[in-house]
Amino acid sequence: MSVARSLRLVAVAAFALFNAPSTIVAQPGAFGGGYGPPLAVVPPPKTFQTSEEHYKFLLAAAKGGTKHTITSVPRWDGLWVTAGNTHMSSFIDPPGFTGKVRDGVLTPPYEKAYKERWRQQVELGEVQYDRLTHCEPPGYPRWLLEPYSHEFVNLPQESYLINDFGPGIRRIYIGQEHKNVYGTHSWYGDTIGFWDGDKLVTNTKYLLPADFTRWSPMTSNQFESVETWQLKKYSGDVERLEVQVTFYDRHAFVKPVNAVYAFRRGKDLEAAGHRVQHWECETSNNDVFDKGTTTSRLPGEAGFKDARGSTLFPDLPGQSRDPIYNTTLPSGKEQK
Amino acid sequence: MRTTFRLLIGALVASLLTASAAMAHHSFAMFDRSIEKVATGTVARWAFNAPHSWLYINVKNADGGETLWSFEGSAPQSLLTRGISGSTFEPGATVTVSFCPMKDGRPAGGIGWARLANGTFVNPSDGGCDGSVKAIEKWKAWLAAGYTSSSDAQKVK
Repeated sequence: MSVARSLRLVAVAAFALFNAPSTIVAQPGAFGGGYGPPLAVVPPPKTFQTSEEHYKFLLAAAKGGTKHTITSVPRWDGLWVTAGNTHMSSFIDPPGFTGKVRDGVLTPPYEKAYKERWRQQVELGEVQYDRLTHCEPPGYPRWLLEPYSHEFVNLPQESYLINDFGPGIRRIYIGQEHKNVYGTHSWYGDTIGFWDGDKLVTNTKYLLPADFTRWSPMTSNQFESVETWQLKKYSGDVERLEVQVTFYDRHAFVKPVNAVYAFRRGKDLEAAGHRVQHWECETSNNDVFDKGTTTSRLPGEAGFKDARGSTLFPDLPGQSRDPIYNTTLPSGKEQK
Repeated sequence: MRTTFRLLIGALVASLLTASAAMAHHSFAMFDRSIEKVATGTVARWAFNAPHSWLYINVKNADGGETLWSFEGSAPQSLLTRGISGSTFEPGATVTVSFCPMKDGRPAGGIGWARLANGTFVNPSDGGCDGSVKAIEKWKAWLAAGYTSSSDAQKVK
């Protein structure tokens, strides 16, 4: 190989690497990974055809589940942040930007679509479509890996799993059956669950088509899951909330996919005074796709939205959404 | 052997370039991360918002006019643990920032580090530019030598 050709290859590789940071953060060790011992996937005890079959097997094994009271239900109070996940290992081999899409994990149409998405990520440095850029919710399963801060509130009859981005709130109906009186699917679907001692087992159905994240495979409207949540403690005062998940999708997967996601206590955030609040998507609204790539509207440009500007009634006193400083930016003509 | 060496170099470059955790809901391809620049101005607005914060500063131009520059940083949930809060950049205060400029030439970029009026350096960066301690130390020397662009500083080696 000539020196010039070698240099060209290095240059191409460097360009691809330089523009592909997200491929790295998509791997285990990312999104808070590296806290505590390596995450290990625990597959289900046998193969199930559907999430419902899987869930009922676990429910029967738990003899109908543990009936917790308000005093016995496991408490996961406080702030939590993501502590890694393994989901990309199911789809990319080896992990990282040098990896390739695993053949035979996804069905042919979903595999073809994902290979194009992965090509964009590796070669162009970005996937040219992200629902969040358009202010759509992360949805499920993306909810499982979204960073920012989380709260998990357990009551005997219901659990509330909260991500402050969006915000995205999942409700787990304990000891109940699925309901879908709306006759449609939604971003977080319908989740039922039961307690098996200190483990929370859930079954989620009726989800809208979504994805694991923008550099991960797409999911269909038949995507379902069975999750097992458990607070684990390790040496060195490591406390980790681990979620073993089996994903089912008859349109997207050749067979069910297993992964583990984790959260750790956000003690650093609590110490910094953070409290969960509603983060609106107004800043996101300034992110757009233009000529095939992501960019942002700037102050003064048409369509710019000022998240700390004023309300629809700027002439009234006290309408600034930045009352501490009450500053202004050049306004653009907002898109309706 | 040479192929292995090239792969190793590539992996090293990648690990260095991807050191900062990206919490974004969009890619950073809009920023030219091959160059870092420095600008000084007065704070117009510190939009301490999720999923991205934005620092807006007025920068004086050579012709005496001013341009409002916009710099994208990380989310509050990340910045709070780095000692940056909603009042770190007060309107009217002088601030110096490093940034990777937008590829399309508009007055904006991914923020790296920021130097407050009292001389303190902070790191509000997301994945758009390098605001690490290593980058700050590198730039302290370059700033002392009068450089405001990494490309200019790197020419003189």
